[in-house]
Amino acid sequence: MNVTGPGGGDELNRLLQSTGRNDQAAFAELYKRTSPKLFGVCLRMLRDRGAAEEVLQETYTTVWRRAATFDATRASAITWLVALSRNKAIDRLRQHREELLDDPQNLDAAVDQQPTPAADAESSQEYRRLQQCLDELEPQQQSSVREAFFSGATYNELAARCKVPLGTMKSWIRRSLIQLRQCLDQ
Amino acid sequence: MNTPADDGNDNLRYAEYVLGVLDADARAAVAHEVATTSEAAVAVALWQRRLTPLADPIDEVAPAPYVWARIRDSLQLDAPDRLQPRKGLWDNLQLWRRLGIGAGALAAALLVAVFVPRPALTPTVANAGYMASTLQQDNGSTGWTATMDLRNARMIVVPGTPVAFAQGRAPELWLIPAGANPIAVGMIAPDKPTTLALDAALLARLGPTAALAVSVEPVGGSPTGQPTGPVIAKGAIGAAPDAGAGKVSVTTPKRADRTSA
Repeated sequence: MNVTGPGGGDELNRLLQSTGRNDQAAFAELYKRTSPKLFGVCLRMLRDRGAAEEVLQETYTTVWRRAATFDATRASAITWLVALSRNKAIDRLRQHREELLDDPQNLDAAVDQQPTPAADAESSQEYRRLQQCLDELEPQQQSSVREAFFSGATYNELAARCKVPLGTMKSWIRRSLIQLRQCLDQ
Repeated sequence: MNTPADDGNDNLRYAEYVLGVLDADARAAVAHEVATTSEAAVAVALWQRRLTPLADPIDEVAPAPYVWARIRDSLQLDAPDRLQPRKGLWDNLQLWRRLGIGAGALAAALLVAVFVPRPALTPTVANAGYMASTLQQDNGSTGWTATMDLRNARMIVVPGTPVAFAQGRAPELWLIPAGANPIAVGMIAPDKPTTLALDAALLARLGPTAALAVSVEPVGGSPTGQPTGPVIAKGAIGAAPDAGAGKVSVTTPKRADRTSA
């Protein structure tokens, strides 16, 4: 499922809005359609099935309680949902930082997120646009942004992984964010 | 070009929040702003729109059905227990039963059916809908084999080694969540397969830290709601081996707290 692309986007918006009116059937349908995407995101960030299941559960209980605040003029339903699940996953990473750092497997830098050609072909217009803008960044900056997005790591952790000073990492990411905004908002 | 105000620290803080690079304190500060000021909420929503498409290529992975059961349970919803009723293995089981195949053969066939990986056409749904448990007797022989069909909220319990019961006594099956009291699942037959319905409360507690046990009770079931007779078989619950296997590699949670009844 594309996060921002076509493919039932309007219907997901309607399901999320109905969920906001306490419609349980709409909520069940929304879960059925979107939980595989959100679970994939949680697994990708947490790299632990049990933790991902807990964060997924937390995400959807929050969806049920907060769906009424969803504003379709600001974001599509799937963007809202993925952003919510990422926030929950990042909060979890911050809470469990020490124990995760104890496990070397969790430190595996997962920079390899270049999409395969097939994934690229299926991806949304928004994704292709973002990809074009990312391609304009220096390679190191681009991979820092990607790793930050997929790992939920702090500036400190990213600097340690890339073996650069904290100030360098901050300036790479901040410059990238400013450049991305300029490119995307054109 | 952006005005200096647009590039101010505040707007970048929102971007950093969405990207996920802020530490716990800075995150909490931005989250508080988002909850209390509409400027922050709008700025964060804009950055989410810009950056969230990065998640497009992440593979979908179907979560295990008990996650939905837990969500329903914690929100106390009445929505359906199961989302995707599906046929297949279960109907085959019913067919085997009608054909009168012996319990041992059925148990063997069942295990094969559950554990043989399916063609990897839809890897993300694999066998995630089933869990299994072998309930062993103290002498090591298999008392019963339980297979839980989570999507359809039912369990089939197949006897392995016959067990003799005194007049007026019968086996009762219990679910034992880690660190909690046993929950009655139902009476089972000592000599033939039994199908039991799993309600939402039971479904929510099935998982790799829970165990199943059989105790000897009066024919009508334990009068107290807790086991009153000796436990004659027990076993841990496991997912089918490739349950939910997707393209994403994940670490298996380390569970040191597996309950033994």
